[in-house]
Amino acid sequence: MSPLFRPKHNTLAQISLFVVAAGAVGVPGGLMLYARTPYARGMQDPIEQPLQFDHRHHTRDEGIDCRYCHNTVDKSPSAGIPPTQLCLNCHSQVWNKSPLLEPVRQSFIQNKPLEWRRVYKVPEFVYFNHAIHVNKGVGCISCHGRVDKMAAVEKDTTMTMGFCLDCHRHPEANLRPVSEVANMDWKPEGDPVDSGRLLAAQNDVHTRTSCTTCHR
Amino acid sequence: MAAPNLSRDPLEPLPLLEGKHTDKTINDSLLEHVWRGAGKGWWALFACALSALSLLGIAIVWTLYKGIGVWGNNIPVGWAFGIINFVWWIGIGHAGTLISAILLLFQQKWRTSINRFAEAMTLFAVICALLFPLLHTGRPWFAAYWLMPYPSVQRIWPQFKSPLTWDVFAVSTYFTISLLFWYLGLVPDLAALRDSSKSKTKRMIYGLFAMGWRGSGRHWAEYKWAYLLLAGLSTPLVLSVHTIVSFDFAVSVLPGWHTTIFPPYFVAGAVFSGFAMVLTWMLPAREFLGLKHVVTLKHLDNMAKILLVTGMMVTYGYVMEHFVAWYSGNPYEYSEFFRVRQHGPMAPIYWLMMFCNCIVPQIFWSRRARTNILVLWFASILINVGMWCERFTIVITSLHRDFIPSKWENYSPTWVDVSLFIGTIGLFSTLFLLFLKFVPAVAVTEIKELRHELDHDPTAETAGVTH
Amino acid sequence: MSCDDNHEARANDRVRRSLPVVGSGGAPAGGPPATRKLWRSIEERSRAVTPGAANEFPGGAADLEGSSRRGFLQLLGVSTAVATVGAACRKPNEKIIPFVRRPEELTPGNPLHFATGYALEGYTSGLLVESHEGHPTKVEGNPAHPETLGATTTAEQALILGLYDDDRAKQLRRGATAIAWPTFLSELKARSASLAGNGGAGLRFLTGPTASPLLADLRRRILERFPRAKFVSYSPVAADGAIDGAKLAFGRPLMPRHHLGPAAVILSLDSDFLNDGPEQTRLSREYSARREPSRDMNRLYVVEPAMTVTGAMADHRMRLRGGDISAFAASLCAMLSGRGLSALGPVGSLGHGAGLWDSKWLVALAADLEKNRGRSLVIAGRRQPAVVHALAAALNSALGNVGATVEYGVPITTDATAGVEALRALVEEIAGGAVDTLVVTAENPAYGAPADFKLGQLLKRVPNVIYHSLYEDETAQSCNYLVPAAHPLESWGDGRATDGVVSIVQPLVAPLWGGKTEAEVLSAFVGDGEVGTHALLRKYWSGMSKLPGNLAGSFDGVWERWLADGIVPDTGASSEQGLAINSQALAQAAAPLLARQAGQAGQAGQGALELAFAPDPKIFDGRFANNAWLQELPHPIIKLTWDNVAMLSQATADRLGIETGDILEVSSRDRKLEAPAMIVPGHADDALTLPLGYGRLHTGHVGLAVGFNAGELRVSEAPWFDRGATVTNTGRHHRLAITQDHWTMAPDGREIPPPAVEAPLAEVLSSGSMFNEELEARRGAQPTIHEPVDYSKQQYKWGMAIDLNKCTGCSACVVACQSENNIAVVGKDNVWRGREMQWIRIDRYFSGPVDDPQMINQPLGCVQCETAPCEYVCPVNATVHSDEGLNEMVYNRCIGTRYCSNNCPYKVRRFNFLDYTGDISPARELGMNPDVTVRVRGVMEKCTYCVQRIERKRIATRIEGRAIADGELETACQQGCPTQAITFGSLNDASAKVTKLHADPRRYDLLHELGTRPRTAYLARVRNPNPDLVKVD
Repeated sequence: MSPLFRPKHNTLAQISLFVVAAGAVGVPGGLMLYARTPYARGMQDPIEQPLQFDHRHHTRDEGIDCRYCHNTVDKSPSAGIPPTQLCLNCHSQVWNKSPLLEPVRQSFIQNKPLEWRRVYKVPEFVYFNHAIHVNKGVGCISCHGRVDKMAAVEKDTTMTMGFCLDCHRHPEANLRPVSEVANMDWKPEGDPVDSGRLLAAQNDVHTRTSCTTCHR
Repeated sequence: MAAPNLSRDPLEPLPLLEGKHTDKTINDSLLEHVWRGAGKGWWALFACALSALSLLGIAIVWTLYKGIGVWGNNIPVGWAFGIINFVWWIGIGHAGTLISAILLLFQQKWRTSINRFAEAMTLFAVICALLFPLLHTGRPWFAAYWLMPYPSVQRIWPQFKSPLTWDVFAVSTYFTISLLFWYLGLVPDLAALRDSSKSKTKRMIYGLFAMGWRGSGRHWAEYKWAYLLLAGLSTPLVLSVHTIVSFDFAVSVLPGWHTTIFPPYFVAGAVFSGFAMVLTWMLPAREFLGLKHVVTLKHLDNMAKILLVTGMMVTYGYVMEHFVAWYSGNPYEYSEFFRVRQHGPMAPIYWLMMFCNCIVPQIFWSRRARTNILVLWFASILINVGMWCERFTIVITSLHRDFIPSKWENYSPTWVDVSLFIGTIGLFSTLFLLFLKFVPAVAVTEIKELRHELDHDPTAETAGVTH
Repeated sequence: MSCDDNHEARANDRVRRSLPVVGSGGAPAGGPPATRKLWRSIEERSRAVTPGAANEFPGGAADLEGSSRRGFLQLLGVSTAVATVGAACRKPNEKIIPFVRRPEELTPGNPLHFATGYALEGYTSGLLVESHEGHPTKVEGNPAHPETLGATTTAEQALILGLYDDDRAKQLRRGATAIAWPTFLSELKARSASLAGNGGAGLRFLTGPTASPLLADLRRRILERFPRAKFVSYSPVAADGAIDGAKLAFGRPLMPRHHLGPAAVILSLDSDFLNDGPEQTRLSREYSARREPSRDMNRLYVVEPAMTVTGAMADHRMRLRGGDISAFAASLCAMLSGRGLSALGPVGSLGHGAGLWDSKWLVALAADLEKNRGRSLVIAGRRQPAVVHALAAALNSALGNVGATVEYGVPITTDATAGVEALRALVEEIAGGAVDTLVVTAENPAYGAPADFKLGQLLKRVPNVIYHSLYEDETAQSCNYLVPAAHPLESWGDGRATDGVVSIVQPLVAPLWGGKTEAEVLSAFVGDGEVGTHALLRKYWSGMSKLPGNLAGSFDGVWERWLADGIVPDTGASSEQGLAINSQALAQAAAPLLARQAGQAGQAGQGALELAFAPDPKIFDGRFANNAWLQELPHPIIKLTWDNVAMLSQATADRLGIETGDILEVSSRDRKLEAPAMIVPGHADDALTLPLGYGRLHTGHVGLAVGFNAGELRVSEAPWFDRGATVTNTGRHHRLAITQDHWTMAPDGREIPPPAVEAPLAEVLSSGSMFNEELEARRGAQPTIHEPVDYSKQQYKWGMAIDLNKCTGCSACVVACQSENNIAVVGKDNVWRGREMQWIRIDRYFSGPVDDPQMINQPLGCVQCETAPCEYVCPVNATVHSDEGLNEMVYNRCIGTRYCSNNCPYKVRRFNFLDYTGDISPARELGMNPDVTVRVRGVMEKCTYCVQRIERKRIATRIEGRAIADGELETACQQGCPTQAITFGSLNDASAKVTKLHADPRRYDLLHELGTRPRTAYLARVRNPNPDLVKVD
């Protein structure tokens, strides 16, 4: 009887074997890489807000401190999104006719909150606390990047548990004088790690890595 | 059926092969059941198996949809049927590897006619067992996710202090090796099937699986090596797997679990239940597939002896457990073994276990019993029951009465628990019936080999008997 | 990885969302206008949580509905797939809703605490309620309040669940037609106008007992307008006996107020003063304060029919049928006057009922009391008739206790009594058709009133019944106006504690479903319906001729301070001085009463069972029947959940051939009732205790048809104890969900070190005693091959000490923990299977003979082993050790192998076997503690020493640059505990209270022999038996 398989089938067999092997290694590997890409983390992707609020303008041009609007950042877990009232502290005088600001005025008049779109978020089982970080000299920039250079705010860091742990294990690089936390241009003199050690002592920084520090 | 051996002089050893054979006759007789169309009996059995299997499906879906709460588990009985079934099936899986690997290394000729059979059962048993570790967790999707290599953005890895983590590796390794071993042994027979098959598609399929086996001298040389190698690999596994499974209990602090004797007696128990299960299935198969001439009373006799030995090892394990519980003077241990197990709410299971695992095997002191098909069959079934009860006693009886009486609770299974158990039996039977249908139940080539050896070496028979 | 995180993220984010807060507390609403503005914004949000109207929610309402736990679960199910693909979860895609105007006292993310009060049975206790962005989440006691002293009862802890109960009455209705509040007011205006015509002859008010000055003032105004109208107070569990008893003894209605501080010997005559009544929180504190093992330790005698929390704490307990206690009291009087207590006079010759009890016991008791003149106390319980209270008063005054351990004052409730008699008059009026309009603000009288009144049907005869209620309950079925009540935490109001101190009750949130307060309903009759309680309240208090307390500053200033402090200074009631027993009159009055009692006492034995009705320690008179926390709370004595049972003694059960779980048919006065039986150690023979409040036919879905309604057998002439009932065993069986089946510490006779240790005072005090040696062996380090981790270098080393000598088993800690930690409710079937979720379990063990046992409680949460068996068996690092020695449970990591629980020798871990949190209502979610993750199906959980509180406090103090001081950080159970049995702190602080307790000679470790090095230590219980009675025990 005629042979079922011809020599070329051997190569086929070998190739298929190889594919299986490659897949076994490649798929998990590929996923691990993918999970770390900015795309998968939703970074570098400006988020449209209902209101064209420009951080560049307010922080750079007007030189308004982050903590003027996000004014619970140093006493509460949440940095705080400014109430409409706060916007109007200035905008009742400045640009009080600008059509751009119509939603703000409407919000105030109708007592109906503005609805912003969330940029950063941590899972429900993660209890991040802004106050302690700010009070121990972790700059806004460390997690939020150069917000003063963003037209629309975008996620600047991966916000993975690894990201948090890196800093909690070696905070030095991200420390600065408490007075400078909101300063976007602050640079440590000399070696950041050495000055970081100094600051850690000054600010009495004791980072913790026990699970319940963040998970409760 | 038991007629021939009655006429036989009791001193004359039983033969490994009944009657005179040529390669041809062996081929025909052993491949015959594959080519023969499925009979009514097979379909009937298959229907039962499938319905049980569908029960399994329902139970699994319901469990995943609602949660473990549909089982009877509670606090303190955190583990119940899920783990019992897991350990039971894993144990059953041991006979195969033992027969194929260890007996091979010890050059026990009588293994040849039953190893294929046993290996297949190993495979199917392990598949049944593998259902549970994932299913019994509260969040299987995460269990898979945390324990497999995954995109670790959390910088947290599995905890290697936990025996459950060891399990994952032990069992999956065991499964892989058993699969390879079984398949490798199958290759020449698949080739034989390919060559003797009538239709082209059949030839195609068997051909693919035969991986171009031609039976050339070189093939055989390589094959022998590979087979021996795998045998060497799986021998330690036979011991390691159930040792590690026993650690799931032994490393805990629970009275009834916290015991150093667990590894040896789990392994013994595993072989015990494994052989019992092989007998339970082989006796009918031998009858209906016309394998009497290759699976002779000699084989049954030997297997019965193994049941006797391992049964006594298990018994020894029980005795030591109780002795240590008394000798240690630990009040919790003592009351676990002498009050809770013997007089507690779960006592009947305990006594049933004692009867099936310690008393029943004793009948195999008698040669008549060892070679009486019916006796063998019922005994083997009782032993399976007994071994299931053992796991029940270890898992549930120990858990439901531990240190502080205020949190003692009773346990009662739900319909889902029962369905899962019956369902796995269904799964096992389904796979097994398919196996009988599509591949030779006996390693044809090895039988031929055996025949040649026997023909050329008149002492071979006795060689087969000596242990 | 990130994306299932994002799915999980919702719920908590929702709870965290900033919402307007109610204007009150520190710098609140100020004047009415501001208040009104805030109230409106509140109402916006409250409509939002009303199912069906959710779309009105300002933004993100989709979230609120969309991500119920179940929804989230399904998401989770696919999460691995999603995770690996990584799609659809990159960006949060959520809204953030800021304030328009943020109230200045509010910092989003930080909780606020408001002082308020809660009135039960007319007496108001002081509370401190935690509020997150406008939703109250946790109730604590107000430390500044003289009655609560910072502690709470189970009922007060459970208020939160009641507030967010989706089953509450939500719609104001006339008959079946929904009407608006203004409509109601106008209809009422018309009606009251016509009523005013004949001076309100047909107008009747049926209220609960109350001591609210505002309500009293409203009543005055109403009676001015309707001179012929009448007010009746009724409570099914009213403690009238005390008032009438004082009347009997002193000639005028007076209310006793007790002080255990000076009391060296206490005799309770069927009084569960540690777990029942308006004084319970304070008395528990005072009692436990004198339990320190010393010569000065107090001694408690209890005479009661069924084991109670107080009885379980007794040094000597005598079981006696309720009806025989009067005879016992009389005999005690006789005994004492025999010992020269001449002050008793003729009362001393009323002796009765000899043979019903062990006279040796009585002699010893009498001697002990007599020895401690002026330092002893006799308390009679709410169920006892006036005569017993009168005799107690006589004893106290004869023993010179009046003024020391007990004082009598004018009743502070508007009606002195609220019992059957007042109601009887009203019932007769209704039957006679004299009542045209009946306003019911009492708690569900149709259910609570004596069965022979048939109030339910009678109400149907009244042309207009206006019912003010939290639920559509039994009474609501026969009224034609239903006014949904505002929950206490939604209401403005005022009230007085037993000592008269006034608290202003302020709302934590605007009425979620537009409920109205009692004041609003009553004010409608004087045309103030639109004013609103807040305004009425301010008007009343500012209008007072002389404001109590320091008057510095404007009324606003004073008002603010009252609200902030939770009490109005200098409002305490004065006690009567120079009271003298009118012994002659008392003796005359008491004799016939006693004779009747004795007559009944005579008929003991076969067929003469005594029915004893009792308020339930969990759901009281049934008003908490729809509160799942309380329904699932194990009964302090019998550990029963989701049911009530007819309790009886072993001997009686044997005689009648009854076993626990058998369904009995109880018949009394040709009324029949089916009730499951339970044999209870220490129960009086020939008596059947029937807890009230169950078997509800109309209430929310939680309390519906749970247990049986004992009220069906309760008649007006015998509201508490009734003789002559008969019982037959139907042979049918009822499945009881009991969390602790076993009575003793060694049910199978194993010789193990007892988990809960106790010893008599003498042994504890003698250093070399057996007891001390045994304990010595049960603490300290165990030999180990591993070098133990050294925690002494850490800043904190958290530890706990639980003093069994103080724990009464009241279970306030259990509910406090449930509230603080978002612990799920699992329902009867799951409890029956052994899946209850409460993180603290109060173990209860009996010792001694079953008919007359001793009982001991042992609260047991996770003991935070330093070498924790649960940790090394977890395959995924979901439970690990913190640097400070906490045994951490990481829910989001847990896969639910349950191995940790199997390997936990204390069995304190709890598992989410099913999706217990999946179907909680959106309203309920607002009451969740945002600092604690809501666990999902398949996750293990357990006590964490309230780690969320630790971390909050840690951050606060680290920002201030200081360390956490001892005592400023309390766990929820510790804070709620009325007896301060639980102490928590850092063991590295040598001066900390917990460190001292860990060094106490009574300290021992549970399962010490396992070498788990638990951080929770126990202090052995001490009993203080009367040397003369030691043999009796």
